[in-house]
Amino acid sequence: MKGKPGSSLWLLQHELRMFWFNSGGRGGAHGKKRSWMLPLLGLGWLGLHVLAFRMLHTMPAVPAEMLPLVGLGAMALLVVVGTFMFSSGLKSSVDSLFERGDVDLLLSSPLPSRSIFTVRLGAITLGVASVYLALAAPVVNIGIFIGHADWLLGYAVILAWATICCSLAMLLTLLLVRVLGARRTRVVAQVLSAIAGALIFLLAQAHNLLHADSPGGADALAAQLARPGGAVWSAGKAATGSWLPLFCVAAAALGLFLFTVHFTHGFFVRGLQQAAGSVRARSKAATGTRAQFGRPLFDVVVRKEWRLIARDPHLLSQVLLQLLYLAPLGFVVLRNESQMAPGVAAGLTMLAASLTASLTWIIVAAEDAPDLLQASPSGAGVIRLAKLAAATMPALALMALPVLWAVAHHWTTGVLMCFTVVAATCCTALTGMWQGRPASRGAFKSRGKSNWIGSILELVGSFGWSCTAFVLIGAAGPGQSAYDARWAGISLAVALLALLLAWGTRRRTA
Amino acid sequence: MNGGIALRLQDVSKHFGRPAVEHLNLAVRRGELYALLGPNGAGKTTTLRMVAGLLAPDAGRIEVLGIDLASQPAAAKQTIAYLPDDPMLYDKLKPMEYLEFVAGLWGVPAREAAPRATELLDWLDLTRHSHELTEGFSRGMKQKLALAGALIHAPQLLILDEPLTGLDAAAARQVKDLLLNHVESGGTVILTTHILEVAERMAQRIGIIQHGRLIAEGSLDELRARTDGGTLEDVFLQLTSQA
Repeated sequence: MKGKPGSSLWLLQHELRMFWFNSGGRGGAHGKKRSWMLPLLGLGWLGLHVLAFRMLHTMPAVPAEMLPLVGLGAMALLVVVGTFMFSSGLKSSVDSLFERGDVDLLLSSPLPSRSIFTVRLGAITLGVASVYLALAAPVVNIGIFIGHADWLLGYAVILAWATICCSLAMLLTLLLVRVLGARRTRVVAQVLSAIAGALIFLLAQAHNLLHADSPGGADALAAQLARPGGAVWSAGKAATGSWLPLFCVAAAALGLFLFTVHFTHGFFVRGLQQAAGSVRARSKAATGTRAQFGRPLFDVVVRKEWRLIARDPHLLSQVLLQLLYLAPLGFVVLRNESQMAPGVAAGLTMLAASLTASLTWIIVAAEDAPDLLQASPSGAGVIRLAKLAAATMPALALMALPVLWAVAHHWTTGVLMCFTVVAATCCTALTGMWQGRPASRGAFKSRGKSNWIGSILELVGSFGWSCTAFVLIGAAGPGQSAYDARWAGISLAVALLALLLAWGTRRRTA
Repeated sequence: MNGGIALRLQDVSKHFGRPAVEHLNLAVRRGELYALLGPNGAGKTTTLRMVAGLLAPDAGRIEVLGIDLASQPAAAKQTIAYLPDDPMLYDKLKPMEYLEFVAGLWGVPAREAAPRATELLDWLDLTRHSHELTEGFSRGMKQKLALAGALIHAPQLLILDEPLTGLDAAAARQVKDLLLNHVESGGTVILTTHILEVAERMAQRIGIIQHGRLIAEGSLDELRARTDGGTLEDVFLQLTSQA
């Protein structure tokens, strides 16, 4: 069915088409068609149906007394999914305000702004829900096939849940615009989105690491969440086929959607106008100039790179969010639990590599003015070296504290940790330099898509160094004879092989 | 050895699957403003990028002030500045920081770079914006800042690709004055432009390139003599339609 041009349905189809294109459905970063992708995804999806059938057709009927437990499980799943949906909703809301370049075109058209906002929120909801609908489909479809027609309600619950999460995300985004202004909202929403997405992981890690031997607050919180009543509980019940809770959740979703559209569409338009004017406003924010001429080229390049990153809060927040995952490891280091040293060392090594990979991409691949550097008489080697230093120094400086702490408490562990962190950082930076493809900084989030070979080599290399850290420190630590040092050799070989491959397949400039 | 020649291209060719520049021979004299004109896709930008050392020619030789670009790229680049139509700037740097970076790339000593930077920003009316990030600059301001960056190391040869595109009348006048001053003080300018009036008024010699080949070259009067006369636009259209 094709909507009449200018109608809300037509606009919704346009929005969904844009969502498909933006999620890579049309092709790669350079517009290359990926005609093989859709059949492959379809095949995988059908495979999941087969898997679901094999699991479900022999499954005995759930006894009546177990149904509340199933509802509880469904509820827990919805809570987890809800954090992801909220995170995606925030990201999409920010994108619709700040990233999409078509808003002026839409608002200058005769379409009412309320329709534009309604359709955009609807498209965000459908876009976010589509992922979970596709994931749930094999189980639901096979359930219907084997006689559980009430499982069909699962689709409605996912849709309603996505509507609630995305409406809340849009409300929060607009509230942030009102309180903080357009410029800061982009950064804050980005951080909140990442925290929401990682919330379950962080809570689980914090619980495991801090309360492993003393179940207390976290378990009490879980028990509180499991308490009957409220939207979450109703959603869990609805997902297991109860009509009344489903009706309640659907009504809540519809109500929230209409509330968001009715009360905030005017502010959405003003938010867009603020977003459009935020670039010019930003230029006023910078104060003071401390230019110092006559510095050596190395210093000049490093200073320039750090200035560019430090002055881009949006980019900086994306890079520093990786450090969020460092927090649980930091707790362990401070508690000085030697039995967890291998895991901590592996985690720190992985994080150092990950942070360096991001910075190397920004500094080397996303150079804003490569022609300026190439047209200058400066030695390319000095510039490359300075760029590598600028990319590696932040990660090394950040890891210095936990490494020094480890050295102070267990000398061998600290030294080995230092070795793997430094090696992983340097190897990742070199891989990034050899494999980097020219890109713009705005493409930071999608950098993996444009160069998947480089991304895989980076990942394999950092994983190799991480495993090396785990095994080496496990074998060297006190009372840890269970670790086999031969595995350190294998993981080290993997890391070095990845580096060698990165060098062998490096990009040669014309 | 090269007398008064600032830039010499000998039999230069470049192919990108199809020929972009073919057997191009060109000589620009010292202290001259040379306009390289041609239709879209004629090979103007490719030529300038080869002269700036951004592209290596497939064949031929490029000499800048008597220095062979292929064998002594650093020495040749030290004497030239390249300004593309899309300014090579950093959005998150302030004007003075940008000039500091460019001066660092060309190794300009502080005692020369600092006063020159102040002078250039003042001349181009950017001093009052020196505490702002360039991301908020208009197209004209960005172009002027890029020009200041190009001049920070006092180049002898300025290579400009469409330097006046998108500039308002006042900014265009400032840029034109600056180029004429550069030539008057002994510098050399080679520029491409689609604004033929600019070439007509400013250039001492004009080269017309089409399909990667130089089809005509000379002063405006010499070019007029080869055709039915008229404005540079008439001359240009006649020459390019004949080729």
